[in-house]
Amino acid sequence: MSENKILFNSGSLDDLSEEIGKLSSEEKSKLKLTPDNADSGLAKLVLTLVELIRKLVEKQAMRRVDGGSLTDEEIERLGETLMKLEMKMEELKKHFNLTDRDLNINLGPLGDLM
Amino acid sequence: MEIMIYALVSVRGERGELDVLLNGIKGISGGHLYAVSANEVAAVVSDIEQSRFQADRAGAIEYAGVIEALSRQFTLLPMRFGSAMESTEAIHQMLERNYPGIDQNLRQVENKFEFGLKVFCDSEKLRTDLMAQSRADNPETTLPTSETPNSVYKDWVNKKLKEHRLEELLLKHVDSVISILTEQLTQMNAQCKFKKMSSESMIIDAVFLLGKSLKDQLILKIEELQNRYPGLNFILTGPWPPYNFVEITIT
Repeated sequence: MSENKILFNSGSLDDLSEEIGKLSSEEKSKLKLTPDNADSGLAKLVLTLVELIRKLVEKQAMRRVDGGSLTDEEIERLGETLMKLEMKMEELKKHFNLTDRDLNINLGPLGDLM
Repeated sequence: MEIMIYALVSVRGERGELDVLLNGIKGISGGHLYAVSANEVAAVVSDIEQSRFQADRAGAIEYAGVIEALSRQFTLLPMRFGSAMESTEAIHQMLERNYPGIDQNLRQVENKFEFGLKVFCDSEKLRTDLMAQSRADNPETTLPTSETPNSVYKDWVNKKLKEHRLEELLLKHVDSVISILTEQLTQMNAQCKFKKMSSESMIIDAVFLLGKSLKDQLILKIEELQNRYPGLNFILTGPWPPYNFVEITIT
């Protein structure tokens, strides 16, 4: 493996080093469930799924707003609902001492969840 | 005691050469490498004490080193780090059971190498540039104007809509780079796999499988792309064994 494997790069290799560094810190983003942390581990798992669904709903909603198919009143209600959902998620994350990074579970070869 | 499997190797009439090569390299923790074969396929293995085996970075590097050394001379399918079975008999049976799939996959990767391409950007700058370009092309529109004044909720939707449009612009840009890349690589008869937006700065993470003789041509193509997109940073690596083109599921 002594052969130089970088065949082409035009600038700095800092970006690549940073990505490789992230691989070794991926341990942190793995879900670790043990008898001692069953509560917080489960909260992390559940909140991850809720956050994923919330983001998908938000994305779909923005597509509809962008498509111009919603009335003024519908946009108002949509905004209220999505904003409240976002605030509730923030509360829950704070309650369980979780950050956005904690909720972005690494799925191995598939990459990060979000 | 377990037996660790490094790779499945095509040994059409070259079993003797494989044994010679294996005598010259060492497995994990200096383990003796040997081959277990069935028909024209051999599994390269070494004995390993399960209690002493550590699935750590040093082990992974040693494992990859064995695969790399083998790939210089033989067509192979790398096994996932840590793959092990309980006996040579079990490995032999596994090879026989899965032979058609292994043989077919080996033919697909024959005389080919894997290359990796990572494309990085200055995320902030790219977003700003794309937004400016979009504004120039289409004067920005927010939500349709209405008679009622904007509420906090509508302002929130407006903010999210801007973020959404920016993401869409970014994806469109990435898709255009991938499309040009795919067009170039198709001419070289390459198989390609792409991942988009793996991180904020890594907008494309791709692997290609292409003929061993086409390395220099590939470098030239990437150089051309780099000139076309000076704001992006293209990093091409290889040649690698076909890690991302093992398509069989061992039963």
